[in-house]
Amino acid sequence: MARVGVFVCFCGANIADYVDVPQVVEEVKRIKEVKYAVEYKYMCSDPGQGMIRDAIVQHKLTSIVVAACSPRMHEKTFRKALSDAGMNPYLLEVANIREHSSWVHQKDKKAATDKAMDLCRMAVAKSIANEQLHEISVPVTKRALVIGGGIAGIQAALDIADARIPVVLVEKSPSIGGKMAQLDETFPTLDCSQCILTPKMVDVASHPYIELIPYAEVLELQGFVGNYKVKIKKKASYVNFKTCTGCGACWQKCPVKVPNEYNLGLDKRKAIYTPFPQAVPNKPVIDAEHCTMLTKGKCGICAKVCLPGAIDYQMQDEIIEREIGAVVVATGYDMWDPKPYEEYGVGRFKDIITSLEFERMVSANGPTNGVPVRPSDGKVPKNVVFIKCVGSRDEAKGIEYCSKICCMYTTKHTILLHHKVHDSHAYVFYMDIRAAGKGYEEFVKKAQVDTAATYLRGRVSKIYKKGDKLMVRGEDAQIGQVVEVEADLVVLATAVSAPKDNPELARLLGISYDKYGYMSEAHPKLRPVETAKAGIFLAGCTQAPKDIPETVSQASACAAKVCGLFAGDTMKKDPMVSTINNEYCSGCQNCVNVCPYGAIVTDEVPVGHGSKDLRTVAKINEGVCQGCGSCVAICRSMAINLAGFTDPQIINEIVSI
Amino acid sequence: MNYTKQIQEIAAKLFAEGKIDVFVGYRMNGFDDNQVPVLISGPQDISKLVFTDKSVFNLVNYLKTDHTRRKRVGLVVKGCDSRSLNLMLTESQVKRENLYVVGICCEGVVDDDGQRMQNCVECMVPDAVVYDELLGETLSGSQTLTGSKPYIVNVDIAALAEKPLTERAAYFEEVFESCIRCNACRHSCPLCYCAKCCIDQETATLYNGANTTSAAFHALMTWSLHLAGRCVDCRNCEKACPSHLPLHLLHKQNESVIFKNFQEHLAGVNPGDRGAFYKYSMQDPDDFIM
Repeated sequence: MARVGVFVCFCGANIADYVDVPQVVEEVKRIKEVKYAVEYKYMCSDPGQGMIRDAIVQHKLTSIVVAACSPRMHEKTFRKALSDAGMNPYLLEVANIREHSSWVHQKDKKAATDKAMDLCRMAVAKSIANEQLHEISVPVTKRALVIGGGIAGIQAALDIADARIPVVLVEKSPSIGGKMAQLDETFPTLDCSQCILTPKMVDVASHPYIELIPYAEVLELQGFVGNYKVKIKKKASYVNFKTCTGCGACWQKCPVKVPNEYNLGLDKRKAIYTPFPQAVPNKPVIDAEHCTMLTKGKCGICAKVCLPGAIDYQMQDEIIEREIGAVVVATGYDMWDPKPYEEYGVGRFKDIITSLEFERMVSANGPTNGVPVRPSDGKVPKNVVFIKCVGSRDEAKGIEYCSKICCMYTTKHTILLHHKVHDSHAYVFYMDIRAAGKGYEEFVKKAQVDTAATYLRGRVSKIYKKGDKLMVRGEDAQIGQVVEVEADLVVLATAVSAPKDNPELARLLGISYDKYGYMSEAHPKLRPVETAKAGIFLAGCTQAPKDIPETVSQASACAAKVCGLFAGDTMKKDPMVSTINNEYCSGCQNCVNVCPYGAIVTDEVPVGHGSKDLRTVAKINEGVCQGCGSCVAICRSMAINLAGFTDPQIINEIVSI
Repeated sequence: MNYTKQIQEIAAKLFAEGKIDVFVGYRMNGFDDNQVPVLISGPQDISKLVFTDKSVFNLVNYLKTDHTRRKRVGLVVKGCDSRSLNLMLTESQVKRENLYVVGICCEGVVDDDGQRMQNCVECMVPDAVVYDELLGETLSGSQTLTGSKPYIVNVDIAALAEKPLTERAAYFEEVFESCIRCNACRHSCPLCYCAKCCIDQETATLYNGANTTSAAFHALMTWSLHLAGRCVDCRNCEKACPSHLPLHLLHKQNESVIFKNFQEHLAGVNPGDRGAFYKYSMQDPDDFIM
């Protein structure tokens, strides 16, 4: 017969003030299986745990109930106390009489006490049916997948690879580098972005532990933490990277010109191209949409001029499969499209550009060789208006959140403008200047002094054309007046938005995303780089808008998490997983259908003992099962039980109240 | 409605071509003008087969017997029967390639007194939805699936809804009181195919013990919830019940609630559909979540 020990905690005054703890102890003593019941001030303290250990030995207890705080808080502590006393740790049951009783019923001590007694009775009843469970060991494939080759993905890949763990880095575009490769200088120190990024890009390409798969997309992820299988689609590049020397003859001769994505369409590239001169890998790809050889079957010039014969028009998309143990998602961000701002004349006036377009213009390798010009007539602008929060913090037209980086990059833009066009003047319309960060406020202050830019606190209501100038009408809230500024060029600090492919990728990976499309972290404070799915981590703007230092920190944090995960040859896992009783399973596969983790597959078993006839039943993959219980609920024939929450345990609980 | 000749011809052809091992149909019961299901294992018995508006039973139920499992079966299905067959297929209980399905465009069947059955009067899907061969004229009724014909709330449900709660409770108490827990309803239901019904399991203490009203209540309610969103209203259970319980009340109530709340869901109409409770959709009602 079961011998239950009950340990009721005061939690200082947290429980004792609102629950009559001695009465609870008296009540549980009346249950015949309870052989020992005691109260103590702090059950989680060392003496408290000692009481549990001693009682287990002294009273030959077979299961333990601790009535204290939430099991999320101290279940592990008490489980350890049980195993220290030589008892199976899963014979513990925690009755949460703090969060579930004392804290929520502070106004009624009697009701709180009654509820605490109910909770204890339930826990005792459940613990009687508790079974010995054992941790599950799952083997680990020590290889990481990094999705996205921006600075987040690059940093994560390098840090993981430096720990001698193989990394597969998948990048959607032909070159890694991401948004950072498009930047000129970076705040708050004005380092040249390319100069600090490209060495890292080269490191990625040459690292013995990194397998770089550019121009590719993740198609499918199956399996579970430590044992994922990923399918990657490598898009046809029509250039054999093994033989291509990157000489550049092909793109020099290619007759087809299309807008250059790297420069946001401010200039043209060829149909066969490398995105930018420092691209890694520095091999061209053919844009199948525009190449006349691929669309109409005419041309073939690149194949003629290619000395190594690397051009292959017959190349097909390739599916690559890899076994991996962890995933780092680093898909970055998109710039928000300012089209909804019709009053600004977005799309109508050529001389309104976005911040990233300005960034490309002032970049030395940009379309204008580092000189900002007006797209309408190519003249160098004198008066430039910067408008902040275009899309950000705008519930009506844009996005509710603050994009975090715009204040800083606009400040940087005023400096860059000042550097490139000495007699220029910058006007900045802003809502607030948010410059929290190391050296950020100092940077803003210094920029304001150095550039002598005019800061106008208020929103712009209208932009209209007057001659070849743009008239920017807005409010200066500090003097409470409407102001009009004559501008040669208007730069919109457009918001950071989640990549539009994020929801699809999230579904494919089985992780959650928020209403904006950013991937959701497991806990906003204490688990900011993990997702709710074990073994999948987030780095950079895929989780929320971030600047480069933060992105790099998070990427390195991901690497630490991956290294931690791969520290042993196997992983330990809680044994609260579903089990299937084949006798009862009718093979309807509803459980396969509802399992959010893909943990259930089908199996064939003999119809009877020794029978050659087979029937289909469900089978749980213990490594994948997270113990959510969806399958238990959906199973009509009650063939599925969740260890630690079996039907007898639950029914015992129900019957006890 | 009389397809006796056609069905006999089809069965003869199937046996002659060696396409089936067994044919499930209807025969006269031998003492009045009512029919019973029959399993025919060879061409010698084909003359027994009949099909008229007295062919009331849902033959899909016979796919779960050992006589038909893992055999090639020919069978006759009406609209409602075919929906339960669809669910059996989706839930992997039978293999489509083992079946030869004779679908009927059903004009409704009649009860012992020659009255058209209530479920036929209220039928939304008279045509078979899964078949290899379709007999009869396609009725316009099958177009109702797209919503051109409004959903008919069962007359008994509508009448019950008028009554006050206490009266309804008293009525159902009386109903459950007369249940003898013979489980004929379960055995007659094509969708009750579980290897071991949850009601019979040792751990299912709620249904165990004496044949009390409470145990009958729990058993019947569990049964009806396991069929919620799956029941096709063939009324095999009601025909089988020796206590003549109005079992359709449980199922039709569920059906009407589900039809209203789950995008006009009708069980088994679409192939691959597992029933309203077995899939998640963004349109599912969630107003009960605080």
